[in-house]
Amino acid sequence: MAHPVSRTYRMAQAALFAVLVALAPIPTASAQQKPAQAQEESPTQKLWNEAEKLLAEKKYPAALQRFEQLEKDADKAGLPPEAKAAIAFRQASCLYLIAGTNKQASDWAKVEVALQKFLQNHPGGTGTLLDATNNMRGPARLSLVEAYAYQSKWDEALRDLDTLRKPSPETREEDRVLAFVMTAKILELRAKGRSPEELKQALGQSMNLLKQVIAGGMGTPERREAALKLVEVYAALGMAKDAEQLRAEIEAKGVGSPAELVRANAQRLEIGDARFQTAEAEPDAKAREELYRQALSSYQGTLRRAALSRALVLAVESRQQEVDRLVRAYATPSPEQQAAIDKAKEQLDEVTKLQAEFGGNKDYDAVISYRIGLCLLELNRPWEAFVAFRDIFQNSPGFEKISGAYYYYIDALRRIGRTEEALKVSKEFLQKYPDSAEAGAIALGLGEIRMEQEEFEQAITEFRWAKANAKGLDPAAVQEIDFGIVRALFSNVDWAKARVALEEFLQKYPNTPAKESAVYMLGLTHFFEGNYPETVGNKDKPGALTRYYKEFPNGTHKADVLYRLGVVSLNIATDTLFQQGVLDKDIRGPDGAIAIARMWIARHGNAKDEASVAQLPEVHTLIADAHAKKADALGRQADELDKKVRMTAAPAAKQALMAQQRQALAAKEEQVKASIDAYIQAARTSRANPAALEFALGEASKLLGGRGEHARIRDLYQELHDWDPASPKATVYLYEVVKATEKMGDSPEFRVRTERAQAEFGERLRLARERADGLERAGKFNTPELAAAKADLAKLSEDLAKALEVIEADRQKSVQAARQQALGVLAKAIGASIDDRRQQGSERLLSFLAEKLARRIKRVRPGQEPAPGAYTLKLAMADLDATLGVREGSGTLIAQARRLFAQAQLALLGRDPAQAEALWRRIADLYKPEELSPAILGTVGEHLLSKRDPRAEAFLGYIAEFHRSSDYADFGFAGLAELRLAQGKPKDALALCEEAVDLGIVMSREKDIRFAKARALIELGRFDEAKKELTFISGVREWRGETTSGCLYHLAVIEEKQGRLQEAVVLHQRNIVAWKRHERWVAKSYLASADLLAKLGQRDAARQTLQEMLSKDRVKDTPEAQEARSRLTRL
Amino acid sequence: MRPALALCLLGLAAAAPAQVIVFRNNERWEVNNPLALDDKGKPVPPDARRAKFNTTFDKVERVSRAGGAEFTASKRLDEAVGIEWPAIAQLRTAKEEIQRGNATRALELSESVLRVFDKAKKVPGSPWIAAAIVKLDAIDRLDNDAALAAFLSALESVDDGSNAELRQKVQVAKLIQKARRGDHAGVVADADGLIASLDSADTLARLHILKGASLLALRRYEDAMNTYLRVPVFYGSQQEHLPKALLGAAKAFRGMDSPALKSQRLGEVANRYLRELVATYPVSAEAEEAKTLLPKEEREAAIKEQTAIKDAVVAPGE
Repeated sequence: MAHPVSRTYRMAQAALFAVLVALAPIPTASAQQKPAQAQEESPTQKLWNEAEKLLAEKKYPAALQRFEQLEKDADKAGLPPEAKAAIAFRQASCLYLIAGTNKQASDWAKVEVALQKFLQNHPGGTGTLLDATNNMRGPARLSLVEAYAYQSKWDEALRDLDTLRKPSPETREEDRVLAFVMTAKILELRAKGRSPEELKQALGQSMNLLKQVIAGGMGTPERREAALKLVEVYAALGMAKDAEQLRAEIEAKGVGSPAELVRANAQRLEIGDARFQTAEAEPDAKAREELYRQALSSYQGTLRRAALSRALVLAVESRQQEVDRLVRAYATPSPEQQAAIDKAKEQLDEVTKLQAEFGGNKDYDAVISYRIGLCLLELNRPWEAFVAFRDIFQNSPGFEKISGAYYYYIDALRRIGRTEEALKVSKEFLQKYPDSAEAGAIALGLGEIRMEQEEFEQAITEFRWAKANAKGLDPAAVQEIDFGIVRALFSNVDWAKARVALEEFLQKYPNTPAKESAVYMLGLTHFFEGNYPETVGNKDKPGALTRYYKEFPNGTHKADVLYRLGVVSLNIATDTLFQQGVLDKDIRGPDGAIAIARMWIARHGNAKDEASVAQLPEVHTLIADAHAKKADALGRQADELDKKVRMTAAPAAKQALMAQQRQALAAKEEQVKASIDAYIQAARTSRANPAALEFALGEASKLLGGRGEHARIRDLYQELHDWDPASPKATVYLYEVVKATEKMGDSPEFRVRTERAQAEFGERLRLARERADGLERAGKFNTPELAAAKADLAKLSEDLAKALEVIEADRQKSVQAARQQALGVLAKAIGASIDDRRQQGSERLLSFLAEKLARRIKRVRPGQEPAPGAYTLKLAMADLDATLGVREGSGTLIAQARRLFAQAQLALLGRDPAQAEALWRRIADLYKPEELSPAILGTVGEHLLSKRDPRAEAFLGYIAEFHRSSDYADFGFAGLAELRLAQGKPKDALALCEEAVDLGIVMSREKDIRFAKARALIELGRFDEAKKELTFISGVREWRGETTSGCLYHLAVIEEKQGRLQEAVVLHQRNIVAWKRHERWVAKSYLASADLLAKLGQRDAARQTLQEMLSKDRVKDTPEAQEARSRLTRL
Repeated sequence: MRPALALCLLGLAAAAPAQVIVFRNNERWEVNNPLALDDKGKPVPPDARRAKFNTTFDKVERVSRAGGAEFTASKRLDEAVGIEWPAIAQLRTAKEEIQRGNATRALELSESVLRVFDKAKKVPGSPWIAAAIVKLDAIDRLDNDAALAAFLSALESVDDGSNAELRQKVQVAKLIQKARRGDHAGVVADADGLIASLDSADTLARLHILKGASLLALRRYEDAMNTYLRVPVFYGSQQEHLPKALLGAAKAFRGMDSPALKSQRLGEVANRYLRELVATYPVSAEAEEAKTLLPKEEREAAIKEQTAIKDAVVAPGE
């Protein structure tokens, strides 16, 4: 029996939509054979056969009547569900065919009802009754879509097709492919009668859908049908070449003709080239991208040299056979037959010529690789471009455009971040092809790569190397390289050398296009050395920067130059700026700087270019610095006046001086305020300038902190945090917000109140004390007067204490409120990231929150109850929940998991490790690894590992697989290696450790990874390597502790395994003495040592060792101690 | 229809597709096709004028009538010196079934052909070789090591190296066996040799995928990436292999990822390939695996993208 799909598919092609696969009006063999197998035909079977016969004879209404009768009799006849389904399906089929004949919308409504009934009532479809491999549900669903379409129910049709297109075990692949084709058709139908744009859009969507289908090949009839439909769509879109090519390909595959294949291949290349050229000229980015994509698709579809050669050989052979056959068949040909022979010979000549031409084209593969590479680069797919260009070097080193290939290969390497390799290849290129057209660009690129990496000295070396080694560089390239050297010297902050190089450069190339930059850089060499007079020059000879200001009023660096001149003015009180026309008034020093800065803001403050945006905060900083400088001067003036006040006796003069001092201090305060404002403004505008941000922030924080203006600090940091709450820096800003918020509680108001109270009571206390002292000095002891004076004094002290207590209570209250507010800030930040699993900073914030709460917990000795009302871990947990706002069972999965993680952190910090462990276990019970973040996976995974819980594998494995570049990647490798060791798979453990080390996945768990590696090596008998690893671990000071003890133990094991028992004993003894606090390995060393001594015949020493072991508090309860007890009885 | 194609079809029509078994002295026996089926899928009734296969397919028998008497002549199939057989529908369908991922059905169909020509394996023109190639493909996709081993040993006795396609398929199958045995270093070495000697884009694409998988198993991620990516870049016409290649490349990128190479964002590159696989080859088995390898959020986005009907920028018509 032929496979039903091919047969039914042929039928389907005749249908209106060409998708009604199974509604073939021919009853299948199986359906007919089953009744025939019966001894005697039952009435139901008879009726069924009759209906099937009528259906085959296209007598649909009559067939429908029989099937309806069958449906009525079904229950009575006790038919199985598949048979009932088959009857329902046949009824729907009859209705479908009737509708197809009548073309009445009302008939399609009946089809819809019948198909829905079939689909609803028969979830298992017709089973294998009508077809061994098709239960007819798929065809029914597709037919239902067709029924919708005939009634213009587009939404219903597209909705059902959406479901059908999704991969599902219930949908056969054929039906799913047909769903794609049908969607394309429905989109087109729906767009008919609408605007041309809408129709074009629909066709575009159809094209995408159909391309998706044929991307999987054209090896099945339904895919070929999709391809044919795509040909139609191409034609409708005016893409004639694509249409022709695809048609040729379908035909070539259909008849298997090599000549057609060759032709289709040539067309593909042609289309690729046409698309590529159009793309290069296309201004619209989106359209350009699509054109490159289409070009790429054409190039990728072309045959490679070997396959094409074979196809050509076959094409020649088949053409030759055709000629031979015709010549043989027509010994004396008629004119028509002769024409056929001539035509065949002509075709043979054509392919023979093509074969010869192709044989001469040695670069065929390389050209395709080259074009593919270019398209991929344009499409920003550097990894694939990298592979494409590499292929040229490996397989076509003699390629005509090899130098171009190198150039783009280097570009691809740079784009994928492989700069070292890019450098290596650049040098290789310059050595191989020093005279190529790309030599200059590549030579320059060599240094540029280093410049990008900020490796300026190497950049100079690379530029010089390029200049010396690349031959045939044109003068422009040489000049660019020279300028590259100058730039590298300049960037390397080598001012003196850079200055000399710049002067030489300007002399050598007076008309260089880089003159503007060179003059600017020359000015900066003075500026950065702090040589401000040289920077600005004098009224007769301008310095390089003032020269730039005048010569290049519209220069690229005009904004920066103006700013630098402002800095000069801040540092030296010069009139050159006025004389050279920078300032229109002779303002010097900080005022000049402020004037220039204001000028800068007016000219460039709203500019959107990168440089101006980055410089704006520096300009604000300049203003701030200028005000600070003025404040310093005023401060010094006030100090001077203060000294004078102290030295002046005359009250009037003193008063006058004091008034001047107050004035100076008030002026200073104004300047400080202006300075703070400017620093804050600098920080707020420095999003694109981290260095400026850091400086301005530091200065503003220092000034504001000193003045107790924590609210402003908080607001500033909050603003910075809100720029990008997901950035790692945002966490730091948040800490500052929290800190400032907490400090706000201890506001200066309390200090003022305290001072006021102390001042107020101080005077009264002094008077009271003086009175009491006077009475005592007068010898009026034991007098009621003295007693009253002392009582007054005591009362005053008491009142002061009370007043201070009230202030302190208020302060505490305020601090408490601020702390609460700080927690709120933290909670808000956590809230913003808690639902996003990829936000790795979330766990850091949660730990920070846990720390804050844990600090408030009242510590008690183990077994002791906390005092009533004390802040306990339980209360902290409640606060944590309240702060997070995540309740049990509410919120996203990751938010709930993070809540448990935070609780565990708090439990750990609150010294309740058992509770922490219970919480980690809960996380493992409730969540799948893919639902958790790397931090939680690592923490919980390690816990599970320590408890030998088999789930550790999944948790740790997930990190190693999915979070290899996270900060927790090594948790995965270390944990998995431990697991493999425990499973007795040292080879696998070693592979994991080596992979981690090779890939640099060794951060906080490096020690564990190396230790696992050493143990795996021991297991594999590679003792020397193991020893090396153990010695390395022992030598790292930061790792000293339990692992060092483990290393000693294993070094002893290595000795023992190599038969050096005495040496092993010595090492075990060293471990016992040196690392007694780490009972895990010490206990093992005791036991092993005793065993070895016994083996060496030193039974007394062995016994003593075991007795000593059992006397040690830390060791006596270990599992090894149990074993020791048992061995002791045997010794 | 273009003239060239019409001519080609005429040519086919001129050489009538009858099944002929040729014996010594150019004795040509036209035989009934035991594999032929009618439109209803029933075996076509035999033509009495032609010879027919016996029930065990080791002989063909011909009945002739002379003077009212019937004479039955028979010939052993292994004595045949040539077979002329038109394309077999079962093999075409089997190839289609492989494309659809229904390897079991393909195996069934190929075996029905193998059974008929079992005694004429080595006879020139025997469809047995073509059926064997299909069966190899089907077994390969069924991941049935035992069946593959058994069939390969059967093939060894038949394969004289004259059929390049069969030889290549056998070599690839042996390589698959090696890979399954875990001899990945061996696979890499042999694949290189084979790649250098082959020209079939389909086989080359498969070999690259095989080699890539072994490199991946050897944790040589960079080499694996380079190998896998050659498939979409150079064997793009072999679309059915692309899902495997993209999946492999994504795994290789993930393997290459490490904190030191964080700046290369290899995890993201891997996810991009997985998303592309899900969106471009939504009906492939690899797309399903890709979904499991994607982080939850990206998986959800990819699934959404998978069924979305995308707008297209249409290139200007020529």
